Amino acid sequence: MRDEIAIVGLGSTEFRRDAGGISPAKLAAQASIAAIHDAGIAKGEIDGVVGALEPGAPRANQMSAILGLADVTHHSSPMPVAIFGLVDAMTAIFSGQCDTVLLYYAFTRAPWNSRSAAQDPFRGYLAGMMGGGLKAPPMPEWIDPASAYTAWAARYIHDYRVPRETFGRVALNMRANAARNPKAAMKTPLTMEAYLQARMIRHPLCMLDMDVPVDGADAFVLTTTEKAKKLTKSPVVVHAATAGMVGKNDEDQLPSLERHGQHVVVEALKQRSEVWIDDIDVFFPYDGFSIITLGWIENLGFAKPGQAGRWMQDNWDDARGCVMIDGRVPMNPHGGSLSEGASRGTGHLREAVTQLRGEAGDRQVPDASTALIGCGGFFFNSQGAVLKRL
Amino acid sequence: MSESVSDAELVERFPWVQITHDSKHHFRGWLDKRLLINRCADCGSFHHPPKPLCPECWSESLVPTEVAGSGRVHLAMHLHQGPPAPGVDYARGPHPVVSVDLDGTNGVRFSSTVVDLPVEEVVIGLPVELDWIERYGHPFPVFRKREG
Repeated sequence: MRDEIAIVGLGSTEFRRDAGGISPAKLAAQASIAAIHDAGIAKGEIDGVVGALEPGAPRANQMSAILGLADVTHHSSPMPVAIFGLVDAMTAIFSGQCDTVLLYYAFTRAPWNSRSAAQDPFRGYLAGMMGGGLKAPPMPEWIDPASAYTAWAARYIHDYRVPRETFGRVALNMRANAARNPKAAMKTPLTMEAYLQARMIRHPLCMLDMDVPVDGADAFVLTTTEKAKKLTKSPVVVHAATAGMVGKNDEDQLPSLERHGQHVVVEALKQRSEVWIDDIDVFFPYDGFSIITLGWIENLGFAKPGQAGRWMQDNWDDARGCVMIDGRVPMNPHGGSLSEGASRGTGHLREAVTQLRGEAGDRQVPDASTALIGCGGFFFNSQGAVLKRL
Repeated sequence: MSESVSDAELVERFPWVQITHDSKHHFRGWLDKRLLINRCADCGSFHHPPKPLCPECWSESLVPTEVAGSGRVHLAMHLHQGPPAPGVDYARGPHPVVSVDLDGTNGVRFSSTVVDLPVEEVVIGLPVELDWIERYGHPFPVFRKREG
């Protein structure tokens, strides 16, 4: 599938702490329409619909009805994070199930991660989705994906003897970059002192180590590279993409910090890609939790295990307040999930395409032609992709 | 004793977790204060959480096997906020949660809390042993520091 599938349309809402009286379905529809217009195609040309299984977001069949699409021959609602949907759309097009896919994600603050959302009567039904229909809340000792990242962050600190500042530097990088992104939810400047004093949620991770719940949506239109060349002179293509996990992926049973899903992704991506970390112009490590970013930096080979903090320090651009690898390559120039907003990686994917198109404004990397995305975490949603401008 | 507890009663007693035909033995064990970890009768390997068959050799001959519950803390975190539970008061101080490498189980971990120890002493590497407290009127497995 190398370079055979192109992303020809982008659409996105702002990412806000509170979108007011707008439903996730409407946000998804607004982003989707923008993406279809951006692609320069008629809605009748969409014959595939892929929408992530996000709480509150419309399913692919509902989206098809909302937009009044014509006949669709492939639809699915893969689980988050972003590259699952991307790979599903790519394989559907490549295998001939359909020609042109609308891929969308909508994010909704939920009663369990936002106080104002908890008071919104229209979001009450989401509370039941969290517990999977159980009659009582989980025990504090029950390890879920969210708490497990904290547990493994503690193991990281223990194994590599690093200070909390290592995690803080991830947060600082994202916040400084978000200031250059008009769509971002969190633009207030952040200092290391403020990071160290931020509210502790699950020690050793504080509020600023966890992504910011937002209302918002991203959408993409994908088609064959052949067709894309008729729509635009220099289409952005997916050079390689993959998911990856190990068998022992129950959160507390993971083999170790040095053997989990990210390692599988890196091995698969390296095999499929003709370019690697020294060739890229923009780097997108996932940052749903700061520990995940440290994992990507090390597992992709930028730094040795336990050395991501030192590596960030060595590649820090003091004037910009963020990482510039070799003084040239930024890390999540849009601000990532920590500061643009919790998009499950669609923000990373959208910014990668935006940069490769040369449309990133103040934060544009000069002549960016290759982007690397390390998406998802350690357990069941590790993924990666290399994008190129043809 | 737990043999006499019906499936319906079992589900009633642990309303906060999804119990299945694969995990019912494990939770029945709790009622008898026995920590049962699935062991494969064919290849001898342990696994947890309970699965329908042995992930190593696919044998369906699984034996919920009582383990001592001693081990060392592999993962440790201190919750400053979290779900409510009897005896857990986040306002009084962080609540420790640990995953313990269980002795004699080829690397299976079991997650719970550590009782009767200042939270700052709940750290990775701590030697622990199994104990039982009561939650919602039923036994709940926890760890305490193992001396010596």
